Amino acid sequence: MNSRNVKITGDKLYYSQALLLIISYRLLLALTYTPALVTTPADQDVWIMLLLSIPYAILISLPILYLGNKFNQYDFFEYTEMIAGKIIGKILAVLYSFAFLSFFIFFSSVFIEILNTALYNQTPTIVNTVILLATCSYVVSKGIMNLARLGEIVIPFIIIVFLLLAVLGIGDYDFTVFLPILKESTFKDLNIGAIDISFRYIDVLVLAMLIPYLEDKKDVNKIFIKSLVCSTIFSILAVVVIQATLGIEYSKRITFSYYTYTRLIKIGETQGFDLLYVASWIMGNIIKLSGYFYFATTAMANVTKKRNQFFIIPVAVISVAVIVFLKDYRPVIAARDPFKSIFRIISIIFIIIIPLIILIIYFFRRKTLNKTGGAKRK
Amino acid sequence: MILRRKKVVIISYILIIAVLTGCFNAKELDELGISLAMGIDHEDGKILITAEVVDPAFSSEASNTGEGSSVRYVQGIGNTILEALKDITLKFDRGIYSAHNKVLIFGEEIAKQGLVSHMDELIRDREQRESSYMLIAKGAKAYEVMGINSGIETIPANYILGLIKNVESNPKTVDFSIMDYLKHYYHEGHHPVAGVIEKIQKNEINETGEKSGTKGYELTVIGSALFKKDKLIGYLNGNDTKALNYLLDNVKGGIITFPATSVLEEVQSQESEQILNSVNVIKVKTKNDVELEGDKVILKSKVYVRAALGELLENTDISKEGNLKRIEDDCSKTVELNIKAAVQKVQKEFGIDIFGFGIVFHRKYPKQWKKIKDYWDEIFADAEYQIEVNTHIIRTGLINRPLEK
Repeated sequence: MNSRNVKITGDKLYYSQALLLIISYRLLLALTYTPALVTTPADQDVWIMLLLSIPYAILISLPILYLGNKFNQYDFFEYTEMIAGKIIGKILAVLYSFAFLSFFIFFSSVFIEILNTALYNQTPTIVNTVILLATCSYVVSKGIMNLARLGEIVIPFIIIVFLLLAVLGIGDYDFTVFLPILKESTFKDLNIGAIDISFRYIDVLVLAMLIPYLEDKKDVNKIFIKSLVCSTIFSILAVVVIQATLGIEYSKRITFSYYTYTRLIKIGETQGFDLLYVASWIMGNIIKLSGYFYFATTAMANVTKKRNQFFIIPVAVISVAVIVFLKDYRPVIAARDPFKSIFRIISIIFIIIIPLIILIIYFFRRKTLNKTGGAKRK
Repeated sequence: MILRRKKVVIISYILIIAVLTGCFNAKELDELGISLAMGIDHEDGKILITAEVVDPAFSSEASNTGEGSSVRYVQGIGNTILEALKDITLKFDRGIYSAHNKVLIFGEEIAKQGLVSHMDELIRDREQRESSYMLIAKGAKAYEVMGINSGIETIPANYILGLIKNVESNPKTVDFSIMDYLKHYYHEGHHPVAGVIEKIQKNEINETGEKSGTKGYELTVIGSALFKKDKLIGYLNGNDTKALNYLLDNVKGGIITFPATSVLEEVQSQESEQILNSVNVIKVKTKNDVELEGDKVILKSKVYVRAALGELLENTDISKEGNLKRIEDDCSKTVELNIKAAVQKVQKEFGIDIFGFGIVFHRKYPKQWKKIKDYWDEIFADAEYQIEVNTHIIRTGLINRPLEK
């Protein structure tokens, strides 16, 4: 279902559905491998660095947000075509489908890696990958509205489990590990880390794609700010519980630190609370990955003027091959490079550089566009 | 048509579920050797693993008659822990399943060589839980202390686990897990400590209650093992370990026995024996601090003890506020002396900070810490130590006046 279908059926995305979807993207990043723990300054001040990343994330997302507000009846590919012309628009749609596909493949690989390492270590990669891709393909075939409805049920469950696990582990917290505050890391370190982290806020792209589906288009900025603040708070909470339980140095050495944290929760003789985490984490990842998958196929649909369902099976088959190749070649998270660098470059290009260029073109062409009514807010 | 489609979908789901459940990772119980305790030793330049595996064939009837054993011991040898674990598979018909390991025992020799590199496999492997308790076999190989069970529990690992958990009523031992050990290992200004386990001879008593000579062994977890970074350098006795627990704020119970000093002077002229009182500890809160006076480092501790009167051997009427206050002071004095003695012993004999004063210094003087962190142990060893203990007796039991006339 693309934006045109939505307009026809009148099916709209509610504020809460969009907000939960965006929050889940970053929350799941924190719950999977918590990149903030090893991001500069990688010490007890990481939580401050995360707070500091909020203004940077806003700054980085400004071009996309501005364009999204101006062209709130269209998705990202539609208005880039209007602003930059048909050919450039098509090229960008192809590039963005590549970006979404990269995110999909990268995060699917991470998902498979944690499954292979921590849960089903004897299950062949291809089996886990096929099951994941089959599930995502089914979800994507049902469209973004069903994904949002599923998220409305699953994401609150993930948040509740996350908060519950934070409470259950309280007996093992040692808050003294966060002292001394701001003595080990410099202001420069904190800012470098904050910028690095804000580049990971790729979910603004998802928001840009969701704008035409929103029931009330004026909610865009509210959704962006609320999701950014909420997901940052959740990320901070994840970092705090991990560092307070495992210590600063040890937590840096663990690949899936939140999973390790949940393994350590013990109430009396009762252990195994990691099961709660794993259940919610799998459900959340299905939604997150399906989102990337959906937008990758939507971009392709935009280029070819075909329904996105047409691309689901071929993309899924290619993705299975790439994921299995990646996963059976090198660990994606444990051996962070070169994936970290590739991921950062993709983020910079697709969140900052391309939207900024489009924005500059828009400023040059805005009079023409306004005459044709392209950017008019309805 | 729709109903038919739904039926097809439901049947397909049922078939898929039936086929997929536990397909690759199915581990049948009758194929597993569930390990409850594991010993790790260094022998002839190789790693020797001893696993205590539950024998599922052991029945409750056999347990009642005392025939047979609920566990079996299997050993594997290799150049690394992983190799040693795989070696077991050539001698034992079941794969060792370590997810239920409750205790990991390291032999003294391997502990002296350094433990952290040997922990890699234990942490890397998802099966082993980081919350397993860690013990050092004092003066012995790990396998020498395994298999001794003088408790009620039929499984020796549960017997050891019970001993460790008794730290709640007696802080003369420590209950640190692998996770705790690693946390302390990575702390700057705090060397790790682990629990100890020791085989001791016990007096066997026959049914009539008479001692029948020293036969058999029992285990004790009294004391603690001290590490410089990850190498074992010595042990603390029970009383010093108790002091360590006070300073690490790890006291969950126990008793404090102290002489009635104020009446002692009067009594000493008549009797040479000390009059002792005891309190049951309800709660202990400790705050460690470090003061920097010029170049001089002063280590400080403030200990707050909340206790219930346990045993009063002195003939004192505690219904009088003054007497109760004096007993509290006597208790504080004893705690103070014991902790001070333990700190000074560690300073003089081992010269390493196991109490975490380095962490406090780091927190309080972060700039100075950067300059001195590499020499902290020397500074700690020479530092002056001051302690203040405050005891509050909040319960006095069922009697408030001495039974003695």
